[in-house]
Amino acid sequence: MKKEKSEYKTEKRLPLFLSIILVFCILGGVVFSVSRKIVREMSEAAIQNLNENLNLIKSTIESIWSKDAEFQKLMALEIAGMENPQEYVLSYQRNETMVKLSLIPAGEQEGISSTGEVFSEEGMEFVPSRVMGGLEVSRSYVNYMGTWAYTVKCPVEKDGVEKGTLYVEYTYDSLDKALPDGFYNKQAMLYIMDAETERFVLKPKGMGARSAGHVNLEDFYRANSIHEEALRARIEDSLKDKQDIMFYHDIRGKSALNFIWMVNDGTVCLVGYVPTESIQKEAKTVNVNILVVVAVMTSAFFLCCVLYYFNQRQQRNILREREEERERHNKELTDALHAAQLASNAKTMFLSNMSHDIRTPMNAVIGFTTLLARDAENPDKVRDYTKKIMASGQHLLSLINDILEVSKIESGKVVLNREEFALKDLIASLDAIIRPMAGAKGQEFHVEIEDIKHEFLVGDETRINQILINLLSNAVKYTPDGGNVWLRFIGLKQHSSQFERIRIEVEDDGYGMTQEYLKTIFDVFTRAENSTTNKVQGTGLGMAITKNIVELMGGTIEVFSQVDEGSLFRVEVEFAISDRKVEEPSGEKDGKKSALEAGISSLEGLNFLAAEDNEINAEILSEIFSMEGAGCEIVENGKLALERFMASAEGEFDAILMDVQMPVMNGYDATRAIRALDRADAGRIPIIAMTANAFAEDEKEALKAGMNIHLAKPVDIDLLKNVISQCVRGRVPDEKE
Amino acid sequence: MKSGKRAYTKAAVCLAGIVTCLAACGLDPNVNLASTNEGEDRIVNFYSPMEKTDPDAENVARSAADKTIRMAEEALGVTVNYITYTAESYQDKSYDDVALDRVRNDMDDLYLLNPDTIRTLGEEGRLKDLSGLECVKNLRDVVKTANTIDGKLVAIPQEVVAYGLFVNKDMFDRYELELPETPEEFLECCRVFQENGIETPVGANRWWLETFVLAQAYADLYNGGNTEAEIRALNSGEKKYSDYMRPGFEFLQEMIDRGYVDAAKAYVSEAMEGEREDFLAQKTPIVMAYWGAANTDTAYGNTDFEMLVVGFPSSRGQMPVMPMTGYAVGINAEHEEDAMRLLDVILSDEAFRIYAETNRVISPSVNVEVDCVPALKPLKDRIEENVYVLGSNAGMEVEQWGNTCLIVRELLNGTTVEECMAEFDRLQEEALSK
Repeated sequence: MKKEKSEYKTEKRLPLFLSIILVFCILGGVVFSVSRKIVREMSEAAIQNLNENLNLIKSTIESIWSKDAEFQKLMALEIAGMENPQEYVLSYQRNETMVKLSLIPAGEQEGISSTGEVFSEEGMEFVPSRVMGGLEVSRSYVNYMGTWAYTVKCPVEKDGVEKGTLYVEYTYDSLDKALPDGFYNKQAMLYIMDAETERFVLKPKGMGARSAGHVNLEDFYRANSIHEEALRARIEDSLKDKQDIMFYHDIRGKSALNFIWMVNDGTVCLVGYVPTESIQKEAKTVNVNILVVVAVMTSAFFLCCVLYYFNQRQQRNILREREEERERHNKELTDALHAAQLASNAKTMFLSNMSHDIRTPMNAVIGFTTLLARDAENPDKVRDYTKKIMASGQHLLSLINDILEVSKIESGKVVLNREEFALKDLIASLDAIIRPMAGAKGQEFHVEIEDIKHEFLVGDETRINQILINLLSNAVKYTPDGGNVWLRFIGLKQHSSQFERIRIEVEDDGYGMTQEYLKTIFDVFTRAENSTTNKVQGTGLGMAITKNIVELMGGTIEVFSQVDEGSLFRVEVEFAISDRKVEEPSGEKDGKKSALEAGISSLEGLNFLAAEDNEINAEILSEIFSMEGAGCEIVENGKLALERFMASAEGEFDAILMDVQMPVMNGYDATRAIRALDRADAGRIPIIAMTANAFAEDEKEALKAGMNIHLAKPVDIDLLKNVISQCVRGRVPDEKE
Repeated sequence: MKSGKRAYTKAAVCLAGIVTCLAACGLDPNVNLASTNEGEDRIVNFYSPMEKTDPDAENVARSAADKTIRMAEEALGVTVNYITYTAESYQDKSYDDVALDRVRNDMDDLYLLNPDTIRTLGEEGRLKDLSGLECVKNLRDVVKTANTIDGKLVAIPQEVVAYGLFVNKDMFDRYELELPETPEEFLECCRVFQENGIETPVGANRWWLETFVLAQAYADLYNGGNTEAEIRALNSGEKKYSDYMRPGFEFLQEMIDRGYVDAAKAYVSEAMEGEREDFLAQKTPIVMAYWGAANTDTAYGNTDFEMLVVGFPSSRGQMPVMPMTGYAVGINAEHEEDAMRLLDVILSDEAFRIYAETNRVISPSVNVEVDCVPALKPLKDRIEENVYVLGSNAGMEVEQWGNTCLIVRELLNGTTVEECMAEFDRLQEEALSK
């Protein structure tokens, strides 16, 4: 699924990616073509500019030479008019341009120079084609000053008669000052070359590198690696034809524009090159700037892409997190629903079980009540029936108590009491309860104690008792006749000196349980079901209650069982160790016990006020007191009870039996109102709560409201008698006193 | 709300900045855009030789000199304007001829001159006295001696040039030959080479064969412990230069006669032109050249064989010949002051060190010592032993380096030894008559 999603995403992104590439290609193409166009146009402009520069230099040289020729002609004219021209020649002082003056009289081979030497044309080659302002120019040579020079000869004529020839030597150095001090930022190389000899006769100052081939054209070729035959032939042709030539050729690895430019109709040439990067400096700058702009824009674009990507990723993460949260939430809801369904199912099952379990004793109660009505005249049958009805009622009561206990534990309302107790007493009370039960089934009950170091412990004895009675009664219940039940108290290694760590094992060799059932044994509303155990009555809540209480104490409970081999429940729990080492048996307890065990006293002659809204309960109560020879006046709610008590004479009632949940005024309010009455017995008349609100909290509330005793319904007649006896009889003597 | 206001403020500031920048980019019509030359450039015109260009090889010597000149340009704020000349062929004026003309016509400020031109121009009083320069106090005595004319120090070199024989050691080993110490041994080596098919064992040009002659002529004079007296005797005419020169010329004549040297070719060959190619191709086992040639690719700095540089054969063994080239300033130099200051920089110890380290040569300064390439070690050992012959000596009335060169050239051209000796006698007489 993920793979498909990924492929889908890839497929979705590919066109976008291709589109971006395409846009960039187009952009690159446009930039490239614009750049090329700029280079081309600027190159053309630069070439044009170079042409103009070279033509300017050419014009400058030609202009200088033209002026020199004109001046020489004037000199010749002046000399022609002189009587002693030799003297003029000898007196001539060289200047920067004309460094030597020589004159050969007509018809002679030798003449005189301004340097004083004899002068002849020997060694000086004049070529008719080399003219300057109409005067013949010699080939270039290194003159007496050690610099490149040329000589121009001019006929000296007077009146059409040739009187001699004037020779003037010019140096190429003199041209230097008329030429620019380098061009193209001094990156351009320029020589003046004698076209005839192809010797380089001047490198104007500021013109290029020192090692650029300085001797002659051949040296220039060699220095600049111009070896291509075709190119050199083309150059030679241009030189022959006295045509300018310009061409691209790399100079020392860098592109350059090379030129050979004819000056003075090819007498001399301008030879050199300009690096392309110097010519196209502006183009390069523009291109660099374009590239910078493109680079900046591209960077900005990619930055935006990156930001967009991160934003998208963040959004995706948020969506994914929300999706995950939603899924988690849905799962939780599903789980909750499932749990609710399970709970509902369990409760349905429980209700079904309860229905079954309640209906069964109910059936007995109703059935035997019917039989009782039929056989009312037969005292034996009546006794038998009432005994069975009582047993069924007791079972129903225990069923209700367990349900209430589970409900209470689950709602977290159970609070453990921390009170000191003696382990010995605990075991004794357990023994007293279980041994008779086991004995009734012909079972052996074994109690074993090992390594217990402290006798007096602190904890909730009642709850421990509840746990162990639960486990032990189950053991007895699920062990066939003649079996064995073991109760073991084993002292474990202490984790702390303040606590006694005890393992309590309850083992039997009874029916055992299946492994499947063991997995749910501690769940509420579950019960082992088989043909055998179905014979045993139970609520299916006992183990859940037990486990909850153990855990409430910070302990653990485990179960090991094999079908037909028996079961072992192992509880491990810690109790705080009491400081008390030895304790005498409590007299008060004994007193209580003696009081409770004093037997059921007669209620004869006593008169009670009972607030009971339920007619049946009222009738039962009335009948019981009537049977006991006591009087009882029933009122329907608390208010009536209050009014009746107010209306009564002091001592008219020995006690008030107060239901709690009643219409008009409840039992608590009524009690508080009674206790608040301004009459002598209002504070001391025993008020006994008789209520279906059977929790400890209800008892506390009752006592807090001012009641003396709390009795949970259904009322045990014997217990009621005892309690009344305790309250009323105990008070009477006082009163009598 | 507050952050929103802050964002607006930032945006406004950025906008204002952009507007300001754009405004600054505008063209100001009040600015004069014409380039103006504020003051004349300070220039020193420098006449120096330059070999024909080889783009694939680096001339270390020239690079070294250029480095020091760039250093001076930066230090002084002057521009050195190079004036170069190279003879296209032997028929052209030589560098020295042109140098003489240029100095005599005050064409430049600074010159790089060979010993004979130094001597000639010094005697003519065309060169400035450089003894006042700061750098002079660090110069070796031999340098000062060789360049002092009429009590004036007229030239200072950047390196002490020593000439030697460049030999292909592999070829000597191949024919089981020892490196020659004496002229006789040298001739024997040549004979063996020739017998083994090497027709011309010695490659030569028209400039440097004189070194054979000078080595043999003055081996005893400079290394016999009586140098000053002998020079005095020569200057007074008690002794004749020709007597010193004769063995060397006879030796050269014998070399020519036996074909160990191609005289005709040498006569028309410029320096290295006639012999470099054959030597590098191992067709010629022996050539002669200056110290720096062993370092530079344009000469013999990169050979495919083991090369050694040894002294010339003489009665006192292998003998280096040391002429002194040097920088000189024209007496009427247009930019004399800058030229002198420039010399003080390029001849300072710092510049000598740069030059010597780049070019691996013997420095004229007593304070600068650098290692040489291994090939030069035999020659260096001899110089450090103070065994050498000066190629030029301003103390001698007859200029040696240039005159000997010219007379050897005549020998190459067919003049006899006797005629050559007569020329020396004439030169001596001419000097004595001054």
